[in-house]
Order: sequence, then C-alpha cells, then structure tokens
Amino acid sequence: MSEEFNWLDYAEPEESAPAPSPRRGLRRFLPRAPGLPRLPGRPRMPGRPRLPRLPGLSRLPRLPRLSIPGRGRVDSALEAPTAPDLLGLQDERPLEELDDRLRSLRERAATGSQAEADSGQALYDVDEVLVSPEILHKPGGVISAAALSKAQEQQVELLKDIVGGAGQAEATGGRRFLPSGALFSLSAVPRLIGSAVLCLMVSLPFVSSNFSEGQLPPSEFDEDRPGPTTVYDLLDNLTADDYVLLAFEYGPAAAGELDAIADLFLRHIVAQRAKPLIVSSNPIAVVHAQNIIRAINRSVAASGNDLQRGRDYFILRYLPGGSLGLRELSENFADVARVSHKGELTGLEFDSLEEMAAIVLIAERAEDMRNWAEQVVSEVGSTRLLAASGYAAAPLAQVYADSMEEIVGLVVGYRDAYTYGEKLQLNFGPLLPGAYETGVDLAVEPAAQDEQPSDVDAQVERAPATELPPPTEMPSPTVPPSPTARSLPTTTPRPSNTAPPQATVPPAATATPDNIRVVEVVSPQQVRIRRGPSTAEDILQLALAGDMFELIGANADGSWYQIALSNGLEGWIAEFLVEVNEVTMAAFQAAQSSASARIPDERVFLWREFDVSLGKNRPRYYQVNTPITGDIPEYVLLRDRSQEVPRLGAMTFGTLAAVLVIAVGNIFYALGALRRRRAADGGWRG
Amino acid sequence: MGPAGMAAFVAFVVGVTTILSLLLGDNPALFGAGPGSDELARRLALPGDVLLRLVAIVIAVSIVIGIANLLFVHVGRLARGKIYSAVMLASFAFTMYWSITNKGDASLLEAVQVPIESALAALLFVSLALGGSRVMQKRADIWGLLFVALVLIVLLGSLPLAELAPVKAWSDWLMAIPVSAGARAILLGIALGSVVAGVRALLGQDRAYRG
Repeated sequence: MSEEFNWLDYAEPEESAPAPSPRRGLRRFLPRAPGLPRLPGRPRMPGRPRLPRLPGLSRLPRLPRLSIPGRGRVDSALEAPTAPDLLGLQDERPLEELDDRLRSLRERAATGSQAEADSGQALYDVDEVLVSPEILHKPGGVISAAALSKAQEQQVELLKDIVGGAGQAEATGGRRFLPSGALFSLSAVPRLIGSAVLCLMVSLPFVSSNFSEGQLPPSEFDEDRPGPTTVYDLLDNLTADDYVLLAFEYGPAAAGELDAIADLFLRHIVAQRAKPLIVSSNPIAVVHAQNIIRAINRSVAASGNDLQRGRDYFILRYLPGGSLGLRELSENFADVARVSHKGELTGLEFDSLEEMAAIVLIAERAEDMRNWAEQVVSEVGSTRLLAASGYAAAPLAQVYADSMEEIVGLVVGYRDAYTYGEKLQLNFGPLLPGAYETGVDLAVEPAAQDEQPSDVDAQVERAPATELPPPTEMPSPTVPPSPTARSLPTTTPRPSNTAPPQATVPPAATATPDNIRVVEVVSPQQVRIRRGPSTAEDILQLALAGDMFELIGANADGSWYQIALSNGLEGWIAEFLVEVNEVTMAAFQAAQSSASARIPDERVFLWREFDVSLGKNRPRYYQVNTPITGDIPEYVLLRDRSQEVPRLGAMTFGTLAAVLVIAVGNIFYALGALRRRRAADGGWRG
Repeated sequence: MGPAGMAAFVAFVVGVTTILSLLLGDNPALFGAGPGSDELARRLALPGDVLLRLVAIVIAVSIVIGIANLLFVHVGRLARGKIYSAVMLASFAFTMYWSITNKGDASLLEAVQVPIESALAALLFVSLALGGSRVMQKRADIWGLLFVALVLIVLLGSLPLAELAPVKAWSDWLMAIPVSAGARAILLGIALGSVVAGVRALLGQDRAYRG
C-alpha cells in the first residue's frame, strides 16, 4: 500500500492555513465552502459569549451521533452540496469533470496494490468514512446500527464506481461511457424495434391521408365539460374597448402543443376588436409571443394591414422572479402596464387588474397555474381567469379550475384547441371574406368536386351577406390544400355537432318554382332566432317585424319553424311570432336586402344568454352589439389548417404505437420472468 | 454574533416584516372602521411591498450576473481546450449580433430553439414508451402488472375510437377519482412543504442565502 492519504491534508493544502475542524462521515468528502481570503492583520471577531451551563446538564445521557451516508444531520444544510447531490452530480460524467476530491481519491486508489484491489480494499478510507468506527465496532456491527436504503446503497455503489481505480479508467479511456459495441448488442434490439415502431406510426399520417384513424374532435365542446365553452363565450363577448391580459407561461418545449391554442386566443380577441396585453414571467415566452403575432400578421397581410404593436396588441415587460413577479403584477399593475418588453412606454394607464375584461392564462406547468391562481387571481377578485394547459399539467390544473371560482374554464391540449378553432370557424365563417368558399373548394377533392350535391353550392352562394372583399383578393397560401377532406370546414356552417332537430316541412303552403315559402316576422317586438327549437338554445340572430326568412321546415308539433338565415346559418323561430307566406323570389330578395342593411350595425352572431360577470361594476360587458366593419378582424381568423388532421392522426397513431410497445414489451418480459421463476422455484410469486 | 448569525438574523427580521406587512396591509378591517384604518393599512403594507419589489429587481439583476458568469466559465473552459465551450461562446456572440443588427428579430428562436426543444420533448415520448415497456423487466410482480394495466387503460381511453368507449369510461373514472385525488394530495404536500420551508428559513435552519 502506498503512503496513507490524509483527507484533512488535502482539504487544507496551504501550510499556513489553520487546522480545520474535524469532519465525520461522508462530510469528509465534501468540498469545504470557499472562505474569503483572510487579510493579514485583520482583527479577529471576538468569540461568541457562552451561556453558563445548566447544573446537571452534563449528567444527561448523550444520544449516539449516527453518521449515515446520505442522511446528514440537520446542520448539514450548512454544508452545500449534500452527499446525495454530489453523487448525483457525478453520475454519467467524464472523469475529468469529477469533483477534485473524488478524482484525487480515485487516483490515489489507482496507485494501490493489486492485492488490495482484489481484496476489496482499493477503496481504502471509503469504508471508514461511510461507516463511523463507533458504529462499526458496536456489537452486531453495521447492520444492527444502520441499514442503508436501496437508494443509499446505489449511491455507495456509484461512489465506488467513480473512485474505482485505474483498471476501469484504462478500459473506458477515462470516461464512463458505454463500452464500444453496446449499442448493437442484443439487449438494444428491443429498444431499436420499439423506437422504430413509434417513429414510423407517428410519421404515417403525415405521409398519407389513408392513415387517419379515429374521430376528429367535435366542433362543439362536450356538455359534460362546461369549462371550455365558458372560455369561448367569455372571449366571444368581448367588445371593442376591452383589454385582455394574455399570459404566455410556456417555453419552446411546449410550443408544439400550446401554440395552437395561443394562436386561437389571440385571433379571437383581436377579431372581437379587443386588445390583448401579453405578459409572462418567462422571458423566452415573451419573445415567442411576438413570433406568434408575426405569424398571424401573415394572415392579415391580405387586407393590406397588419396588427400593430401598441395599437392592436401590447407586449408588456418581462416579470422577473416567478411568483414574486406575478405578485408585483397584481399589486402594481399600473407600473407593469406602462412599459413594453422593449422598454418603451406603452401609453396604457390602468389603475388595477380589475380593469381587464378577462385574464387568459396559457400554462405549460401546473406550477404556473398555481402561481397565477395564488398571486394574481386571488388579488383581483372580480376579474375571471380563463386557462389553457397541456395534457401533462391538466390533472393538477383541473384541480385548480374545479376548486377556484375565479377560474371559470380550462382548455386542455391540442384536441380542445381543434374544437375551439372549429367553433370559431363555425361562428365567424360567414363573415370571412372569401375564405369560406376557398375552404369549401379545397375541402372537396378535385375528382369529386363535380359530384357534390347541388345544395352545397346553394348554401355557399348565400353565405356572404355582408360587403366584403371578393375572394380573389385572398392569398391562396392562407388555406392550402389538405390531403383529406374530412378536416376542413364543411360547406355549410354547422349549427351544432349534435344531431340537428328533426324538421318536417309544414303542410300549409306549397311553393311553385317562381315562389318561395317564407316566414315573416309579425311580432312588434324584436324577436330571437335560435340555434334549436327551444328557448334554451343559443341565440343566433335578432329580427324585427317585416323580416323574411326562407322556410326550411318545422319541428314535430309545429311550434317552431326552421329557417335559413342570410349569413348561411340555419335557425329556429317560434311559430307564434311569424306568419308563413308564399312570396315571389323578387319580393323575398328585396326584403332580404332591406333586412341585411341592418345587420352590419349589430353583432348578431351567437349571443348566448351568459350570466358570468366579467368584472365588478362593468355591466357593459353584457352588451354584445359590436359593430364589425373593419378589415382586420375578419382576416385575422383565416388560418392554415392543413396540418391539423395529420397532427391529430399522429397523436392517435402515436398513442396506439405506445400501447403496442408497452403491451408487447411487458408481455415479453413477464413471460421471461415467469420462466425464470419457474426454473428457480417452480411457481409464480406475486 | 458571527457573520452567519447576522445573516440569519437579517433574514428573520426581513421575513417576519414581510409576513406581517402582507397580513396586516391587506386587511384594513383589522384596524376598525375609522377614517385612519385605510391609511394605517397602507403604511403597513408598504414595507412588504418594497421588499418584494426589491426581490424582483435583485432576481432580474441576477439574470445578468448569471449570463456573465456563464460566459466567464466557458471562457475558462475554452482556455483548457474544451471545444464545446467555443461553440457556446460563438452561438452567444452570433445571437447577440443578430438581435442587435436586426432590431430584436426573434426568428432565430423559432428556427433553432423551438425545433430543438420540441424535438427533445418528442424524445420524451419515445423514452416514456420504451421505459413503460420494461416495467415487467424491472419489477415482475402484481404491482408492476397493475401499473402497466392502468397505463394501458388511460392510453386506450384517450384514443378517439368509438370501439373503445367502455375503456374510455374506465379511463375517465381513473382520471376523475384517483388521479384527481393524487393531484390534490400533491398540492397539499406542496403547500405543507412551502410552509415548512418558510419556517425553516425564518428560523435559520435553511440558509440558502449563504450561497
């Protein structure tokens, strides 16, 4: 054995350094916290005055001071890092990056004799420091005094592995990398096959539209989950003067999942002519939000305008400090809102967050949800939080959404984003300038385009009711072709994903080719046209006396008429409010044109009777008659949806592949374990 | 009192001041309905507000210090011949140059960082699936079997296939009851842990501020 290695000497190599205090157990391995250099002649601080000892205290029995690896005493917190931290840090790293003390120990061990190595004594000092000599010499030895847990045993093995001598260093070239050829060993074959299956099945939907199993998400949110619908309706009730705080709390790693919903929220808010104030406690998310807006601007470019920072949207300064930054946002919102992320003045003057119509949070982690719920929402009281999260954070985020009344809804993952987009397309589709027809044309495969039933064309022709730019002004890349027709907007705006009420043609009137059967509003009051034959259904449009609508059918008892609206939707109106007449087409068109002249003055799409307060003392949010006369809001809803169906298909196929790999792999290993156990003791042991 | 004791004392005083300020400053009702209660509450809230804003400022400055430290570390590693540090420093310099000359254009973020991080997130899917396939290799007992069965039920329940409607019902129940209960337990644990960590810091048991 070579010369004895003294840890205490190594810890204090300077000759002039004072002798360190004795250290026990694994703490002897730990680097000492570097102290400040002691200046020459620096006066030493006087010692702490000692309290007088209590009489009889010294007679109390002393507890044994165990020194168990991985379990330091309470004051070990003063010695950072802890032993488990140190060992964890050294795992799977090149030897030259080891802590100096561990590397030195390894080198010292490498110089030991082969006999010592063979006898397990290559790690001299280790046994002594891992187990206190006091414990080692107690009756019963180490086992009776301290038993290591499995994790601690693994750490000991790792420590032995790290400092294990020269033999290993020579074999691995001084690095703890995989030995050559391990990648292609037989044990790697199942992993290679599994990886190939996963990658192949995820890729298939992007290669061919034939691989698109499973149902697409519905165009309406599930009634059992009112949260997403509430989120949509709250944003749909925004008005032109509203400001919405939009929090981007996700980084690039979650961009693939959450970009879709962030994009939709932004488009929806802008389409309502409200102004989003983007904020984040993640500096990268602030920059990423700007990039999403740039992508939206490419959609808006057809209108000759673009969303302007400082006019149509605002990006506020980064909030440092995590939860502390969010607290500052809630306490000092006026200050936060004054400065943009580029340090410019925004010109925004707010007193508090309560002036926000809503707070929309897009969170990658449940912790972000918790921070916002605790630091922001609980401080603003009346303003509601709308949230979106990824699948991974959903279980914890859903708990907050269910428990806090301030959080009124939660949208989860890409499938909800698809439904949100469908709903948006459905409700704004007739307003989109030319996009609707473009989407229809592209939705039908060229070979089958001529074979479409005539009612499709008829419905498309009556879709645009407002004065909008012609379709030719639309850029073709906005809605690119899709490999399948299933995903794109259908030719007719779907009132609901649920089965429509069965309509029967009323027998009262029969139409001739020149005439048309209509219902004419006779009520002196403003009447409501609803999505279905019930007063519980959503209101699609308002109508006044004299308005005419084409009659399509009626419900079973004839109390409701199904009518065609000028915007392409189909609605229901109560029988007692109207009269059924037969008029000429010319008269009908004249009535339609006079009625449509009123439409631009009112925001008449999807007015839900919504009773969730958006803000204290702000009843104006119940008003939904928002004029839509500009160009940007219509264009901002045009999206490239060509990748939606392949992505959903990839999710389905990827999940199937994961199920396959997990099931097959575990069956294989379970059978192997069963065979081994039968060979060992002849039976299965649970 | 040594330096360590002094630091602990300062931490204790600042912590208690902040807590009292937050508690009392947000509740003017504690001081009665008199005209001066609001003003008193506002004054009591001021120290906590100032301290929290100071913390936010310090954290913001620490980011700059962290960047500088990162650069110094990699310059030192480069001096020792670490070639990857040269790549890092070159990337840093190029990104800075790009952002300055292109007036804050963040297209590099979309072109480089987002694809890379998204790809790493996608690798997680492969890793989890392969790890899930080896559960019975590591633990071939009834608990491993139960774990695998639950994983398969939840995965199958998430598939949009009508044929799997019964499995979806089981999956929904699992997500609604056991998973929700577990999530709430985790949140309770986090809350208790936060309280304990705060108390330990106040009492000087945890002295992370010593660096």
